[in-house]
Amino acid sequence: MKFRAKIVDTACLNHFTRERGVSNMIAKLAKTCTLRISPDKLNFILSDKVANGGVSMWCELEQENFFSEFQMEGVSAENNEIYLELTSENLSRALKTAQNARALKIKLTNKHFPCLTVSIELLSVSNSSRVVTHDIPIRVIPRKLWKDLQEPTVPDADVSIYLPVLKTMKSIVEKMKNISNHLIIEANLNGELNLKIETELVCVTTHFKDLGNPPSASEDVSQDRNPEQMAEVRIDIRRLLQFLAGQQVNPTKAVCNIVSNKIVHFDLLHEDVSLQYFIPAFS
Amino acid sequence: MTEEVDGRRPTEARTGPSATSNLAALWEREGGGRVRSRSFGGCGRHPGTWGRRAEARLGALLGRAAAMLKCGMSGSQVKVFGKAIQALSRVSDELWLDPSEKGLALRSVNSCRSAYGCVLFSPVFFQHYQWSTSVKMNDNDSTSSNLNCKLGMKSILPIFRCLNSLERNVEKCKIFTRSDKCKVVIEFFCRHGIRRTHNVCFQESQPLQVIFEKNMCSNTLVIQPRVLAEAIVLFTSSQEEVTLAVTPLSVCLKSSSDEPVDLTSSVYSEMFVGPDEFDFFQIGVDSEITFCFKELKGILTFSEATHAPIAIHFDFPGKPMALSIDDMLLEANFILATLADEPSRASSPQSLCLSQKQKRSEPLSSNSEAGKNVTSKAPECILRKVAPKRLYPKETLTDVSALENCGSPIMKRANGDRSEVSESSVSDTEEVPGPPYLRKFSCMFFGAVSSDQQERFNHPFDSLATASDSEEDMNDGSFSTF
Repeated sequence: MKFRAKIVDTACLNHFTRERGVSNMIAKLAKTCTLRISPDKLNFILSDKVANGGVSMWCELEQENFFSEFQMEGVSAENNEIYLELTSENLSRALKTAQNARALKIKLTNKHFPCLTVSIELLSVSNSSRVVTHDIPIRVIPRKLWKDLQEPTVPDADVSIYLPVLKTMKSIVEKMKNISNHLIIEANLNGELNLKIETELVCVTTHFKDLGNPPSASEDVSQDRNPEQMAEVRIDIRRLLQFLAGQQVNPTKAVCNIVSNKIVHFDLLHEDVSLQYFIPAFS
Repeated sequence: MTEEVDGRRPTEARTGPSATSNLAALWEREGGGRVRSRSFGGCGRHPGTWGRRAEARLGALLGRAAAMLKCGMSGSQVKVFGKAIQALSRVSDELWLDPSEKGLALRSVNSCRSAYGCVLFSPVFFQHYQWSTSVKMNDNDSTSSNLNCKLGMKSILPIFRCLNSLERNVEKCKIFTRSDKCKVVIEFFCRHGIRRTHNVCFQESQPLQVIFEKNMCSNTLVIQPRVLAEAIVLFTSSQEEVTLAVTPLSVCLKSSSDEPVDLTSSVYSEMFVGPDEFDFFQIGVDSEITFCFKELKGILTFSEATHAPIAIHFDFPGKPMALSIDDMLLEANFILATLADEPSRASSPQSLCLSQKQKRSEPLSSNSEAGKNVTSKAPECILRKVAPKRLYPKETLTDVSALENCGSPIMKRANGDRSEVSESSVSDTEEVPGPPYLRKFSCMFFGAVSSDQQERFNHPFDSLATASDSEEDMNDGSFSTF
């Protein structure tokens, strides 16, 4: 198994390493995650058993949008992929030091323990080059566990809707968290989305209007459905908040797909990085 | 004779001189490093006040003079002074004000004796500087003693908090104290005619001082603070200890975490700095020393304020290292213990912590006798085993109380054998007990500051803790003291 990659372009570097970059976002979404390396892509995967109420995250980026050099050799020729488990914060912290670096190299190493070695070449104030190396401990995931880490199937949504400004949503959900542990998210095909919490003493609903709905994939479903009818899911508010906390910048595209009483699926696109986040209904 | 009253029983203190002096007990109580607000708050209610006022009255009768400090500085000098206090606050939460003819020294030592800081402001730093020792007439004999003033960081740090605004607004700052008063008076004369006065109660306590010959270290590096700051920032901030590895050709700063065992282990980071980045580069012996990152950052922020380069003096692991800043107006020295990585080294004399056999060394020896109690409560040890989710203060915190929550490394490494191992660090024992696999920080050698120089030189062996095989150290009584 081998992996070596290099980033030299400043813009790409920043996109990866910055406060608002990929690694930081992942660190906020998942404490431990799986990094899947394949010849054209990098994926950050979190896969709690969704059936048992765990969230699931799938983040994908095309390697050629970032890396000037990218070589990998998977476990075997037929299974030309590498699955690694790592602590997300370790990676984001190490990458943070690469802001304004000249070059960033990542490779798989095995010194005393398998590691992802991040090597950063910096230009110091005194104009001499300085090299910083970080060894991030990882665990190689054996092939037999790969089946649990595949791209989740996008469910046939009852309603698909564009999300409002995530920052606004986040501040609302943050306040709601103090009142209740569960939140109902509902939307219809008329561009309306509601966030509701209900307790014995109080009900609070925030209404978002005129959000717009993306053109639906399957024609039958959307035509049969009454545009006013809401599809709702009751979810754990903390999971929603965790997801929103990871979004520092408003994404290029943000869609929410709801399967009534089953699951809510967030599909975001941040420039070149796509992120999918699944929150199952609270059982 | 009136004596210090026991701070633990203030009501008794008021009743009169029958309250026994219990400086040792006071020290023991304070040995845990916690600043009791009772000691320092509300002047006039200070447990020591009664005793001191009485002493002052008596003193006047007997022809005594009090030790005194009086100095003044401008707004920009206040900033540097405040930065020094902030840097020292990273060492411990107690600060000694120690005036002498050399200037005003601010000293701090942490409770497990693994870090010591001293910033000496020369008289020319101040706009005016006056000091005197107290003179005691005893049976036709006179002894002089310095102002022995110990302040709590909790009291003094907030006064020097917003240094940038102090620099802008303060036109003049005056500091005044006398040993027979119970407080230090700090006055800020600000713009628009505003005058702010702070009264900080102090505790009478003889400062500790480290005896360390930094110029005799084989390795010396001098670097501009800006360059070092740039280098340090790149380090992942979760590291508590950092290792400096030098050869004549290269300098490497690396994290000293243990071998990774799983995903949650710390990241290992390494950074090479070329010899050309140093103002002065002298490596006599290849060496790898491990010390606390936090203090390095502390002195770094201070040096950025003074724009003077930082000198790093060190030898081999186990021997303390010095970080110093030498400027025309001030001299700062931070002496840090370094990790001794061989068990054999741990038993060498370097790891001894000796106290001087002087009348004022009771605090130290009583500390060791009460060792079990004190050191097991000594939570201020900054050097500790890296472990996740510890109560470790982040370096961004200037909240000194957070320091009190650290565990001692010696306790941690002893794997439960707490009191035995930690006791050794403060007692006068010659061997260091504990299983050989223990990695121990050597302690420093301290001597209580005393104006009684003669007595110190009569007992040179008491204050020496260098290896007994280096003859020249023993014979040459002239150690530089900070």
